[in-house]
Amino acid sequence: MNPLEVKVGNVTLKSPVILASGTCNFGRELSEYYDLSVLGGLSSKGLTIKPRQGNEGCRVAECASGMLNSVGLQNPGVDYFIEHELDYMRSLDTGVIVNVAGHSYEDYCDMVKKLDPYKDKIDALEINLSCPNVKEGCMSIGSEPDQVKRIVSALRDLTDLPLWIKLTPNVTDITAPAKAAQEGGADAVVLINTLLGMRINIKTRRPVVQNNTGGYSGPAVMPVAIRMVSECSRVLDIPIVGCGGIMSAEDVIEFMIAGASAVEVGTASLIHPDAGFTITNGLVKYCEDNNIDNISSLTGTLRLWE
Amino acid sequence: MDHNEYRARVRSIRYFNTDTILFELSCPEIASFAKPGQFVNVSCGKFLKRPFGIAGADKDDGMIKIGVKIVGHGTENLSLLKEGDMVDILGPLGNGFDLDSFDSYILAGGGTGVFPLNFTYDVLSDAGKDVTVVFGFRNREQVVMAQEGFVVTTDSGDYGIHGNVITGLDSLVLKGNPCVLCVGPTPMMKGVGEWAKSKGLRCFVSTEQHMACGVGICLVCVCKTKSDVPGEDFKHVRCCKDGPVFDFEEVIL
Repeated sequence: MNPLEVKVGNVTLKSPVILASGTCNFGRELSEYYDLSVLGGLSSKGLTIKPRQGNEGCRVAECASGMLNSVGLQNPGVDYFIEHELDYMRSLDTGVIVNVAGHSYEDYCDMVKKLDPYKDKIDALEINLSCPNVKEGCMSIGSEPDQVKRIVSALRDLTDLPLWIKLTPNVTDITAPAKAAQEGGADAVVLINTLLGMRINIKTRRPVVQNNTGGYSGPAVMPVAIRMVSECSRVLDIPIVGCGGIMSAEDVIEFMIAGASAVEVGTASLIHPDAGFTITNGLVKYCEDNNIDNISSLTGTLRLWE
Repeated sequence: MDHNEYRARVRSIRYFNTDTILFELSCPEIASFAKPGQFVNVSCGKFLKRPFGIAGADKDDGMIKIGVKIVGHGTENLSLLKEGDMVDILGPLGNGFDLDSFDSYILAGGGTGVFPLNFTYDVLSDAGKDVTVVFGFRNREQVVMAQEGFVVTTDSGDYGIHGNVITGLDSLVLKGNPCVLCVGPTPMMKGVGEWAKSKGLRCFVSTEQHMACGVGICLVCVCKTKSDVPGEDFKHVRCCKDGPVFDFEEVIL
């Protein structure tokens, strides 16, 4: 038996390692570096109903142990994706997660209606209620539990595809939108998207990124993500996909102990394109070294101090 | 797989002036594939790697060169490297120049653009093509990589022709239809592109943006090109993966 096989609700993945949306495009580029079939899955670049050119000007600022990005959901649109990228993603012999972003309630519904007919090629829809780099939708929806529940319920009625809800950490209490997603009928929550941040060029006294703010990712945000996974794991019945600053197999294990059934690796691929491959190998070795038959036995084994 | 990340040894370090350095790195894999106009991403003790145009490659010797100008913390860290130190290096990345379709070339550049153009010159000369090089600098102290026969201009006039790259280009006696390749600051590339256009010559420029991954997955290093979609002023393309070399007629600088 494959020691890395995990289940996220009804979705079986050959490894807990999924490449996070926005850090692997649709898989073509990283396929030049390793065989992506070792992965549990790939989450597509965040898609919108119409193509988007994304934000103008500088989109990146380096930070301590991480980076800000303000790409702003540049993507070719869902129709192009269905016609030109979906079959390619399916051909990679790994889980196909399609990241769905929108500016409004209607956008999300229209996107899911367009994708539902291709359910045979898709393992799960990841509903992006958390991108901090667009003016409307996404994070502004994901930070309001009532709106999260309303959207998830509506999408639940439109498709049988597993719905994974990717949430924003830019809230006071992460369990509120997470519980709202569960009540709306979500199959899983993905925790966390990037933290809203800003860097300033002290010579020009202007923000480094032209969108003024950006999403902070990288190892610096991992403790925040671990805490949020742990908090949600104690109040949710649905599985959690952990995400935020994973750079190594040990980081994956930490997320799983905190309560994650699977994880998404994002910024690590921007530093080392083969990060997904080396992390996967590290997990195999971890299971061997520790006589673990199946890695999912780690999920939620955290013992908090009394 | 075709691509990989390597650990390269710093073989030699040469300072041209206080802030411009030429590194020779041992990296046989990259040396064997590298094409002029391509770049490498180099670790520098900061979170993100830094991109540098390849300044030369010797397949037989397994060596590549990169030129570094100290502009921030990352390049400052690189300036502290000693011979024998190791760096992580990813490449070769991006699309290089088309060096096959034309018989003669004019290479025009300035700033750190002179490094990738040096590699371009080496390869074109070895291929027996007719190559003219025009480099522009601020002053004598900044003059680097200027080989014998290159046309050199300085803004200050204390070395070579007094003026900028365009002054240098205007001094040339044009024969045939050379292709113009330009790497330098954006205003220089705009100027050189317009100059080439006025002479009816094709021109390709190599763009530079703040980068993260270098391999085309993060979409932070975009630049604009003309869009063929009606009503759309431009489209964002990736400097790292779709470029860094673009046709001057296509890119919006």
